[in-house]
Amino acid sequence: MTALLEVLGLRYQPGGHRILDVPAFAVAEGEVLAIIGPNGAGKSSLMQAVGLLQPAEFGEYRWEGRSVKLPAESLALRRQMAMVMQDSLLLSETVYHNVALGLSLRGIAGAGLKTQVLDMLDRLGIAHLARRPARRLSGGEAQRVSLARALVLKPRLLFLDEPFAALDVLARSQMLRDLRGLLTADRITALFVTHDFSEIPVVADRVAVMFGGEIRQVGTPFAVFNRPADPAVRELVQVAHDLVRTLQPESANR
Amino acid sequence: METIWQGLAKAYELLKAGDPELYQIVWLTLRVSGTATLLSILAGVPLGVWLALSRFRGRGLIVGLVNTTMGLPPVVVGLWVAIFLWRSGPLSFLGIMYTPSAMVVAQCVIAGPLVTGFTMAGISQLNPKLRLQLLALGASRWQLFWLLVREARLSILAAIMAGFGGAISEVGASMMVGGNILGQTRVLTTATVMEVSKGRFDVGIALSLILLLLSYGITYGLTLLQQRGHQA
Amino acid sequence: MPRWVVLLFALLTVVGAGCGGSPAIANPAVILATTTSTQDSGLLDVLIPIFEQKTGYRIKTIAVGTGQALAMGEKGEADVLLVHAPSSEKPLVEKGFATGRRLVMHNDYIIVGPAADAAKIRGAKATAEAFKQIAGAAAIFVSRGDDSGTHKKEKEIWTAARVLPAGSWYQQTGQGMGQTLTIASEKAGYTLSDRATYLALKKSVKLDILLEGDPSLLNIYHVMEVNAQKFAKVNAAGAKAFADYLLSKEAQQAIAQFGVDKYGQALFVADGGKTEADLMGK
Repeated sequence: MTALLEVLGLRYQPGGHRILDVPAFAVAEGEVLAIIGPNGAGKSSLMQAVGLLQPAEFGEYRWEGRSVKLPAESLALRRQMAMVMQDSLLLSETVYHNVALGLSLRGIAGAGLKTQVLDMLDRLGIAHLARRPARRLSGGEAQRVSLARALVLKPRLLFLDEPFAALDVLARSQMLRDLRGLLTADRITALFVTHDFSEIPVVADRVAVMFGGEIRQVGTPFAVFNRPADPAVRELVQVAHDLVRTLQPESANR
Repeated sequence: METIWQGLAKAYELLKAGDPELYQIVWLTLRVSGTATLLSILAGVPLGVWLALSRFRGRGLIVGLVNTTMGLPPVVVGLWVAIFLWRSGPLSFLGIMYTPSAMVVAQCVIAGPLVTGFTMAGISQLNPKLRLQLLALGASRWQLFWLLVREARLSILAAIMAGFGGAISEVGASMMVGGNILGQTRVLTTATVMEVSKGRFDVGIALSLILLLLSYGITYGLTLLQQRGHQA
Repeated sequence: MPRWVVLLFALLTVVGAGCGGSPAIANPAVILATTTSTQDSGLLDVLIPIFEQKTGYRIKTIAVGTGQALAMGEKGEADVLLVHAPSSEKPLVEKGFATGRRLVMHNDYIIVGPAADAAKIRGAKATAEAFKQIAGAAAIFVSRGDDSGTHKKEKEIWTAARVLPAGSWYQQTGQGMGQTLTIASEKAGYTLSDRATYLALKKSVKLDILLEGDPSLLNIYHVMEVNAQKFAKVNAAGAKAFADYLLSKEAQQAIAQFGVDKYGQALFVADGGKTEADLMGK
């Protein structure tokens, strides 16, 4: 599988604090890579650095196999990406305008814009909310809008930073299924930060585990959870193991 | 009460007669304060946005400075601007003392911090992650600026109204750097003070009523604009 | 094009429209520092337009307190001065800040007060006497208190009366003549006023003229040109032109006529060509 994005020698150390120290990091075309780790591990910082939203030092930044010049090509690259965050962060406009935002930033307008926006609203099941002011949406509806806003841009790389953490369990599980469907259907490459291990099997192809600004292990969910590379990772994934154990029938317990 | 009626009557009389001196004063008032407000917006809004978003050492000092200058007494501003523009001052080569340009400068010093300070406060109230989100959707820096300004439009319109109010209502600075010269630098506020000091209270009240009407009219217009944005 | 850009262009055009006008003279702006009472009399509104029409100079009349007007002369911030505080003007000439000091006109001060006249100064023989009586009776006296020509004159009279005015009866407003008269009227107090302002406000104040005509009550106006040798930026040509104009037959006639149609009497006496000594001898 070809690497869509490959980053070498990533460092982010504002004012002497080591936030990120990642010698190598790659995302393959079409895969969904989950990033897990404790608070402060640098998960969001990694996404923001790789998404060119935060200044960081790169040894090399390769996009589609080509080394790119930063910051000169920053904007062009950013326009091939999109992000959904935990807060919906919608503008005080209607749902339609919010979803259309990214497209209009890229100069798209008119009938073409309208079609794309309405299609995406439809796919996310919120077409009936098109004229609703964003202020008057529920949490789940707002996140659907945020997702629609990102997906309508057909991003080459989608960042999701704990997108469903603020939703209740049922809404979350519904959104996850819908998300998986959309990612698969459009073959979208995505980075997905989460605290909730139960989300991993639903969406992730690979998992990266972070501690203290470093990536300790990358692999399939099975590999990471069953063959933790170091004590820190093992301690983290222990939670999952404990959960699995309580769900086993009585006879399987010691 | 009698005096107020006399003032009202005088105002009506002056307006009806189309007194050219009055209209000249009104026009100059609008030109000077309008220009000062416009310049304050052009400089103050970007500065306010930048201050709200930036983090650097000494930022606290600059923010404190902006907040303090918001409350500068206009007559103090007038004195200091005059000191610079006098023949013996460092900026005398500009040759703008006792001209409307000097008044614009003074009113900018008064209105500018108001626009900057309120803009800064308005932008600071936005969710700090909004900036990242908008950049992540492909906004260029310019586009980001405009999106944040639009999102904070209620506060920014309030900032503009504050700046305009400060400019059109001040008299001390305009008097000092303008000289209240008939036909050249006389505006509604300075004319009002002069008429009152002459003892012509009816004219003074008439002028003040006209000033209030003008100021209210413009501010009302801006308020409508602001509230229209409120519905989205 | 976004709406705001259109608005911006419109505003800039409007602003730019204000600037303009091509002068025939190299430096047409002449800064005249004078007093608020001079301007308030309205005389300058008659004299200046004629001068501007004739010569193409543009007078910038800065009407401030006497102290400030003289200070502007001392700093070279004005080109020509028209003030009425002879004792303060002379040092300016002596120190070389001003030149060409010439007598232009005079009017007089009057003592006004309530008709009841508790201090009984009506018809007093000399002004200093009247002031002594007012102090003695501790009757309310409202002073300008702003170092203006009027205030300086008032202080001279107190000195002549050998009285140092102090106490709750002596009230200093720090404001212009119009304001001060109004306050005196409200408080039924005495005050020293120039005739012109009093006449202009006669209808709205409840004060009578109680004393007039004393030579010490003369209010004498001189014009002075700020010394261009000392201050390079002074518009010497413009200043001289204006000073000469004030002494010209045309201006002197206008001065002598001023106020007749409105008040039935002239507000000033034109004195071009005379000296202070001539007037005091009267």
